[in-house]
Order: sequence, then structure tokens, then C-alpha cells
Amino acid sequence: MTEVLFNSLLVALLAVPAVTLVSARWKKAASLPALLLLGALLAGALAAVLALGRGHHLSVDLSWLAPFPFLLAIDRLSAYFLLLICVVGAPVVLFSTAYVERHYKGPRRHWLWALLSLFLLSMVVVVTAATAFAFLFAWELMTLFSAALVLIDGDDGDWRRNIFIYLLMMHAGAAAVVGAFLVFLPHSTGLDFASLRAAAMVLPAGARTAIFLLGFIGFGTKAGIVPLHLWLPKAHPIAPSPVSALMSGVMLKTAVYGFVRLVFDLLGPGPVWWGYLVLVAGAVSGLLGVLYAISEHDLKRLLAYHSVENIGIIYLGLGAAMVFVAQHAPAWAMLALMGALLHSLNHALFKSLLFLGAGAIADATHTLDLEELGGLFQRMRVTGTVFLVACCSIVGLPLFNGFVSEWLTFRSFVAGANLAEVAPAIVLPLMAGVLALIGGLAAACFAKVYGVAFLGRPRSLEAAHACEVPWAMQTGMAVLAAACVVIGIAPGIVLRPLGGVVEQLIPGAALPEAALTVTRMIPWVAAVVVGVVLVVRLLPRISRVTPTWACGLPGLDSRMQYTSTAFSKPLRKVFSQVYKPDRTVEILPVDQPCFPKSIAYRSVRTTSFERSLYRPALDAIVAAANRLRRLQTGNIQVYLLYMFLALIAVLVYMRFA
Amino acid sequence: MTFAIDLLQLLVIVGAAPLLSGVVGRIKARIQNRRGASIFRPYAELRKLFGKEDLVPPTASPLFRLCPVVLFAATLAAAAFIPALHASALLGNTGDFILLVYLLALARFFLILGAMDGGSSFGGMGASREALVSTLAEAPLLLGLVAVSIVAHSTSVTSIVRWAIGRHLFQLSPVHALAFVALALVAIAETGRVPVDNPTTHLELTMIHEAMVLEYSGPSLALIEWANAIKLNLMLALLIALFAPWGIASSASISALAVAAVAYVLKMAVLAISLAVLESSVAKLRMYRVPDLLGVACALSILAVAFTALRR
Repeated sequence: MTEVLFNSLLVALLAVPAVTLVSARWKKAASLPALLLLGALLAGALAAVLALGRGHHLSVDLSWLAPFPFLLAIDRLSAYFLLLICVVGAPVVLFSTAYVERHYKGPRRHWLWALLSLFLLSMVVVVTAATAFAFLFAWELMTLFSAALVLIDGDDGDWRRNIFIYLLMMHAGAAAVVGAFLVFLPHSTGLDFASLRAAAMVLPAGARTAIFLLGFIGFGTKAGIVPLHLWLPKAHPIAPSPVSALMSGVMLKTAVYGFVRLVFDLLGPGPVWWGYLVLVAGAVSGLLGVLYAISEHDLKRLLAYHSVENIGIIYLGLGAAMVFVAQHAPAWAMLALMGALLHSLNHALFKSLLFLGAGAIADATHTLDLEELGGLFQRMRVTGTVFLVACCSIVGLPLFNGFVSEWLTFRSFVAGANLAEVAPAIVLPLMAGVLALIGGLAAACFAKVYGVAFLGRPRSLEAAHACEVPWAMQTGMAVLAAACVVIGIAPGIVLRPLGGVVEQLIPGAALPEAALTVTRMIPWVAAVVVGVVLVVRLLPRISRVTPTWACGLPGLDSRMQYTSTAFSKPLRKVFSQVYKPDRTVEILPVDQPCFPKSIAYRSVRTTSFERSLYRPALDAIVAAANRLRRLQTGNIQVYLLYMFLALIAVLVYMRFA
Repeated sequence: MTFAIDLLQLLVIVGAAPLLSGVVGRIKARIQNRRGASIFRPYAELRKLFGKEDLVPPTASPLFRLCPVVLFAATLAAAAFIPALHASALLGNTGDFILLVYLLALARFFLILGAMDGGSSFGGMGASREALVSTLAEAPLLLGLVAVSIVAHSTSVTSIVRWAIGRHLFQLSPVHALAFVALALVAIAETGRVPVDNPTTHLELTMIHEAMVLEYSGPSLALIEWANAIKLNLMLALLIALFAPWGIASSASISALAVAAVAYVLKMAVLAISLAVLESSVAKLRMYRVPDLLGVACALSILAVAFTALRR
């Protein structure tokens, strides 16, 4: 049954591009690609649920298709991430049915559907691949299809530049991943994961460290950990909203999957400093991600920075799990890993919801600049409600799903104090403080986003005349919001299957009792909070609409409201060391600073990484390339000399080697 | 039986909260050489406000009136975590301190949203400042609780209290001293007291909480004021329960509960007097000095956590 469903998922995803060709010719079949895609994803979700429940190992051998062993297999970890892709993909596709129709005409529409389907297919293959070749092949296709999808909206200067950075960093990351698999090879009998797993047992310590570091950099680039996050705030905002939702919600999670697969499954336990490295990467990504997000007022770029933050939270959980494994405390490692994996699912749900919400806002107001929005909740009730759910979830407020995964991570950090060694017993509990600070900053940021975009007075004519989006977009978002609330109030439905997943990754331990206390306490708290809200709402209260007192002035207007920039100013001032903006103030005329005719103020923030890390590296590479150019004289005799010298060198090497 | 006691405790924290605010105000007035209002004035004020109508700005959304309710509900749920008389609590047995901290965050998030929905300058001003203070207070609050919970080997608030009842003052560790100072500073910041915020100010240059609730009136304002009083009461009750729990009944007998009630009133009185003295003798900090204060709290809580590992 599972196999049939999974195969039909693969076939249907492959068939969508062909169907798009048909629907391009035949008007009546216009909605066929979307329906097929939706059906495929539902079948995939069902297959994943079945595989997750039974833990039964399914494999599909496609080696006859490829020059290398090409095997797909679904174990519990794969099933979990397959579920993530399908569960998030289906509402996004539903949202897209209306979104694509409203925004894209003619060939671009067909390209979008075809590429969307292939992009989903590549991600499905990434998380189910059971050989290194299949994994890398799909990994590369995933990058290319996502880049093509980003280009659907246009390809002028800005797009090209950002896509170039995206592709460059993705290929550098992919090279590191390839390198990680290559280090296995001398000790491995084959390219399939089973032989790699066996080879990992006999690898020398140096090779294991090399694999870990290459995997950390390679998957870290895709996941967007600081300072390898540079592409993320450039590529996500320019993509169509459903594509941003998939890239941020799902594609980043395939990197988490790759990292977990490589480090926990293939490589096995390592020294404790691996864990510290991942912890530090998580803490830095989390803090800097959210700090950069606070200072943004472009909604999609802000959300992209929040992806960096949430990947940081996931890495905090992974790092804690690695420290626990290295310290022989597998039970707590399971708890931390559960936190990380659940946060992957949760982030996929609420971040794709936020990006879809951003799409709905752009659809209704034609802008994503927070300073132009305001008062949207009055005009877009459904979008406003689901966006509020997403905001509460990403902030990690109780009764919403983000809290459950952050609670698991917190709980594992506190449990770190039980470790026998002093260093991890100090570091892990302190990380709880880092996570709390990240949570506090995220709360401030989303209070800003929601307060500025959806509440108060409209700041532009477009915002004042916004209309609710069509029902398909509303339904797509509502499904995701419902999932956030359900996991938030009844986390047991995900935690129990997830227990099976982590048992597979960290064998030889039982799930700690603490993991499930959250399932017991949340319903009570939910009952109290919801009960009190209902009781108080039912009490009779009279209300009257009356203009706000404007301190005796003729009346308030939207220019008197706090803007997004003003809201974040105190936090930006306190953390000014992080931002270091370039500010210029021009007062004209110059000789009369007290009686200026005009004052111009400009503040440009290039992230300090761009300035202090990437720019020097880039300059060094360009300088080295210039120096190497001297070898290229264009003179054929010199090239013959090079060949001769190379031949001599090879002969000498063969003689003495 | 325990359930009845737990419900009684919740009623004490929720019902006596306005009284505590009244007492603190009265003591402050006496220190400042005024007669001051009756200690029951906050109740009269709540009654008056509940009888009035809600005035809603024309641009406000339905969220404007929902936010105070969520604020009140979440604060009430947080109050159900605190043991005051008996070493148990309605939600404190299953819930832990992480949930407590995040329930307060839920309450604050909706208060900020409500403030932003007013559509005036003051709401945004207060919201932005509150976001700053609460963001910086979150880490020391959580780390202070983490330190105490590590020493007590439990994350549930009631188990920590039970652990502490069994020990005398000098069996508590230096960790407790550090965590107490950190949490006391955070409590001042979280509840908006001097030197972080002045609950009696109406000067727009300095106010934080008052600016946020400026557009609210009637029952909504009553809910906000009540929730604010509950928050003060629960923070002080939490400090008592974690750091000076002696007197809290561990059995459900009437005599033990009576002793617990007397001890609770005395300890609350000491805290109320200290708070009033502090508020009357210290000037409010400039807004951008508040992060320094919270930085001190953060450093102390980090030390507290570090010492938990070193004292083994």
C-alpha cells in the first residue's frame, strides 16, 4: 500500500510537466496540473504517515534508470521529512491555484506549475534517497529548479545578481557535501547509505572529522547558518510567494535532514566539540538572524532573516543532542533531537504560512513595505487571523506549535546540568538563556510586524482599499494555521511518531519521561486560557466607537502612528554594535546648520558579514585570479612548455612513488 | 481537598492582587508624607470601570477588545502555577517554569498588539518601549529560574518549592542569592515599577505601560489593570515561594494552612514595604539605562547557572 502510494507520488510529480503541456493547449484542462499535484501530495502524505506508523522499511530501486546506483528508501526519518514536504506542499499548492491565476499569464503560468512540481519531486527524492548518487543528483536539481522558480518573476539586473549569489553559494555548499561523501569512499564498498554506515565504523578519526566539517559547511550553506546565510535574504524575497514559502519552509529543512542523516545516522557519535560547534553556530544564527530581522521593514526579507533565526534554534537542538550523545546521555539526546526535528516541522508550517500571508498582503495591497501597510485586519479578516496564528507560533507562545518544540529544546538544555562533566553542565543551561533572548527578540519583531501591518490605521491608499483574497488562498492558509494550533494544543499526535524517529537515530535508549509532560500540561493550560477568554467575552459589555483624543489637534492621521522603523528603534539602539549602519546627513546650505533649507538623511545597512568577511575573501580571490592570469600568455610555445613540464612531473612522480 | 486548596490559592493571588497594589500605594504615600487613598481603592476603581462602557477608536479592529481578555486569561493561567499557602498549585504540578514564563510572554504579546491597534502615537510608543524592556528581561528571568531548578533537580514550580521547604536558610546555596537578586530585578522590570517604569506617571516622555493602555477605557481597562496587579502579586509570590518558602503548608491540615496564611501575609508585607521604599527613594532610570540594569540581572543569573555546576 505504502509502496503504491509512494510510487504514484513520484509518477504524478513527473507527469505534471507533461500535463501542463496539455493544459496549455486545451483551456478546459487549465486546473489539471494543480489537481494532479494536490492529489500526488496527499498520496505522499498518506504514504509517509503509513511508513511512520509501521516503521516498515520501503525501498524502490531505480538503478536501471541511471548510470549509478539509484535507490530510494523510506525509513522513519525519511518518512518524517516526506510528511513535512507533503503536508506543507499541499496547502501551498492550494494557495497557488488562485495566486498563479491572478498573477501569471500564458507560458509563465505553465512554467511555474511544471517547475513547482519538479522542485517538489527533487525534494522528495532528496529525503528518500538511499545512495549518495541519488542524494547528490536530487540535491543539485533542487537548487536548479528553485533558482528557475525564482527567475519566473523577472530576470533583470537585481534578480540576476541575487540569483548568481544564490547559485554560487549553493554550488560551493554542494561541493562540500560531495567532498563529505568522497571521504567515505576509500573505506566503503559502495555508494549506498548502508555501506557508508558500515564504512563509518572503520574510518580513522581524521576522516570522520573531515566528513563532519564538510557536511557542516555544505548543509549549513543550504540551511542558512550565519555566516553562510548571505544568499537567504537575497533569494527568498524576490521569489513568488508560494515559492518563497516552499524554499523557506521546506527546502531549508532538506538541509536539516541531510545534516541529521549524515551526522546522526551515517557517521555516528563523534567528539564533544562537534556538538559545541553546532551549538555555537545555532546560537549565533539565532541571535543575528532575529536582530537583522528586527531592523527590516520589507516583509519578505524580514521573514527570510527569521528563517536564519529558526534554523539557529533547530541547530541549537541538534548541537545539544550531539553533546549528549558524546557525553553518553542518549535519553536526553533523544529529547534534544526531538526538539530539533519538531521545530523543523513547526517552522515549515508557520513559515510557509507567513510567506503565503505575505503573498496575500502583496496581492491585496501591491506592496510588502511595512511602512505602507496598516489596518489590514479590518479589511482582511481571514488573512489577519491566520497571520496572527503564524505570528504567535513563530514567537513560541503557548497554545501554538512553536512553543512545543522550543519547550523540548529548553527542557533538554536544563537537563544538561545533570551531565557529569562541568563544561557541558554549564554551557547547555546557559544556552537556555540564549534561546530565551532569541524568543524575546522574535516576540518584539512579530509584535512589530503584526501591529504595523494589520492593526492601527492604514498608512497608504492601497492598504486602505485592500480586499480579502479569494477562497483558495484563504483555505490554503487556514489549513496551515489549523495545523499550527492542533500541534500546539495536542502535541502528542506528533511527539509519539517522532519518538520512533529518534529511537531509530539514537539506539539503545528509552524516551525520557520529561518528553511527554508537555503533552499533559498544555491541554490544561489551554482549557484555562480559552475558558477564561470565553467567559469574559460572554459577559455583557457595552462599547461605543468614539474618536481618539488628539491632544486638542484637529485629528489623528496615519503619519502620527509609530512606524515599523520607529518601533524597532530602541532595540536597534541597544544592539547598535550588531548593525553598524552607514549614515549620512546632508544639511543644506552647509554654512547655516541652524537654519537649514533641506535636510537629507540616508542610512544604509550592509550586514557586517558582507563588509568584513565576504568582501575581503572576494578581493583575495580576484587578486589571486589576476596573478594566475600571468600564466595565460596566449603564446603557444609557453603552453607546450607547460605540457612538457607537466609530463616530466608525472614521470618523476611515477618513478619515486 | 487539594483541589479546593489550589483553587483557594488561585483566588488569593487573583483576588488579593488589587489589595497589594493598594497597600503599596498607601505605604508610598505615607513615606512621601501624604495620607494616601484607602488600600481598597483599587477594588472601587475596578468596580467603577467594569460598570462603564468600552470606548473604541474608530480605526480599531475586533482585536482591540480581545487583547485585554487574552492578557487577563494568560495572566490568570500563570497565577495558577504559583503555590502561595500550600505546596501545590492548580497547574503547578503538571506545568513547569518554562510554561509560566511563556504564559507571561503570551499576555505581553497581546497587550502590545492591543496598544498598536489604538492607532495613536502613544500606543506605539509604549509598545515599542515595552518590547525593549520585556525582550531584555526574558533571558535573566528564565536563567534565574533555570539555576534554581537545577539545584532543586526539578522543573516544576511546586517540586522546587517542596525541595526548598525541607531546608533551612543556610542550606540554600549562593546560587539562590544570585538568582534571587536577578529575579528581583526582573520582577521590577516586568511589573513596570520604578526605576524601570513609573506606574503613576502620565508624562508621555517617560511612560511605558501607561502609554500602552492610554486608549483603553471601561471594562477593557479594568481587565488590564487587574491583570497588571495579578502580575505584580504573582511575581512577588513566586519570589517568596522559591527563595523563602518556609511556612508554606506541606500538609492539608487547617492549622498548617492558618500558619501558612499568616506567614504569607507577613512576607508579602515585607516585600510591599521594600517595594514602596525603593519606589520612593530611587529616581526612574532613563530609558536607555534600563538595559544596563537588566544586563546586571543577566550577568547575575549567568553566574548563578555557572555556580550550579561548580558547587557539585
